[in-house]
Amino acid sequence: MNPLDNKENSAGEFSYSGLGDIVFMKAEKFIDTVLNWSRGWSLWPVTFGTSCCAIEMMTFGATKVDADRMGVLFVGDSPRQSDLILVSGTITKKMARRLLNVYEQMPSPKYVIAVGACNISGGLYHDSYNTIAGIDRIMPVDVYIPGCPPRPEQFQDAVRVLRKLIQQNEIKRYAKQSS
Amino acid sequence: MPSKVVDALKDSFKDNVTVLSDNGVEDVIVLSDKKLLKEAAKLIKKIHDIVFLITVVDRNPTFEIGYVFSNYVDKSILNLRVNIMQDDLSIDSITSVFPSADWEEREAYDMFGIKFNGHPSLKRILLPEDWPGHPLRKDFKVTDDVRNWTGLDLKF
Repeated sequence: MNPLDNKENSAGEFSYSGLGDIVFMKAEKFIDTVLNWSRGWSLWPVTFGTSCCAIEMMTFGATKVDADRMGVLFVGDSPRQSDLILVSGTITKKMARRLLNVYEQMPSPKYVIAVGACNISGGLYHDSYNTIAGIDRIMPVDVYIPGCPPRPEQFQDAVRVLRKLIQQNEIKRYAKQSS
Repeated sequence: MPSKVVDALKDSFKDNVTVLSDNGVEDVIVLSDKKLLKEAAKLIKKIHDIVFLITVVDRNPTFEIGYVFSNYVDKSILNLRVNIMQDDLSIDSITSVFPSADWEEREAYDMFGIKFNGHPSLKRILLPEDWPGHPLRKDFKVTDDVRNWTGLDLKF
C-alpha cells in the first residue's frame, strides 16, 4: 500500500511525507517528492503589479512581513528565472496579452497567485468594457487572495497554501509526462 | 476686460463666431462651421501656446468638440466649441498647428470614432487596436460579447 494514498496518514496541515514514507516509495514518486519539496521553498516571483494591490505586494517583500524567509526572494524580476507570478492589479484587455507574454516566458513549473478582487472576478470593474473579469479566463490560477486590496499577511498565507499544494503534489498541471 | 483673441476671432470670422463668455479669463466661443477650424487655430496660435484638452460630448444627434487653449504668460483660457453632425464625424486635425493635440485627438478617435483629417497617425491610444466599437458613445451598450472579448487566441 502506498503511504501517500492514505489521507489520514498525513500528520499535519502543512506537513510533507517524512523519511519513513520515502523509503517505501517508488523511485518516481521519490524524485517528485524531493523536487516538490525544494520547489515549495524557493518560489522566486515575478511582480506583475498594475495598481493598488502592488503597494501591498511591496510591503510583503519589505521587512515587517518578510518574504525572504519563506523563500520568496524579490530579486531580478526577470520572468525567465522565476517560478511564481504575483498578478496584482486590474488587468485590462490591452494588458492581457502583455501578461500572457510574461507568463509564457517563465520556465515550467510555474505557479500563479491572483491578488485582489479585480483578478478574481473583475471586482469594481466587472461590468466594464475594458477589463478582464477574472484572470482565470485567460490563464490558470493556483491560489486566489481575496481583498481590495488584501493585507500583506494574506500574501504570506497564500504562499504557505501554495507551498502546501506543491509539496503534497496537488498541482497536477506540470506533473510528469509519463503517466 | 475683453480678450484680444476673441476680438481677433470676431474680426476674422464675423457671423461664424458666437461669443458666450468674454471676460479675458475664461472665454467661451462657438465656431459654427467646422471647415474654419484650422484657420481659427492658426489665429489662436499667435496668442495661445498650447491646447491642453480636447473634449467630446455626445449630444445625440450632434457631437460637441471642445478645445481648451491656454498660454504660459497669463492664466487666461479659451474654450472653442465646434458642433459636428453624427452622420459626418470628421473634422480637420490641428496637430500641425498645435503639436500637443496629437494624443488628445487620438483619444477622441478611440472613444468616439471621430475622424481627424490630416492627423499623422490616427490610431487607438487606450484600447487594443483590434477592439470593436467606440465605448463612450451614447448608443454603445455593454453586452456579453463586449464583456467576454479578450482578443486572445486561447489554447485552453
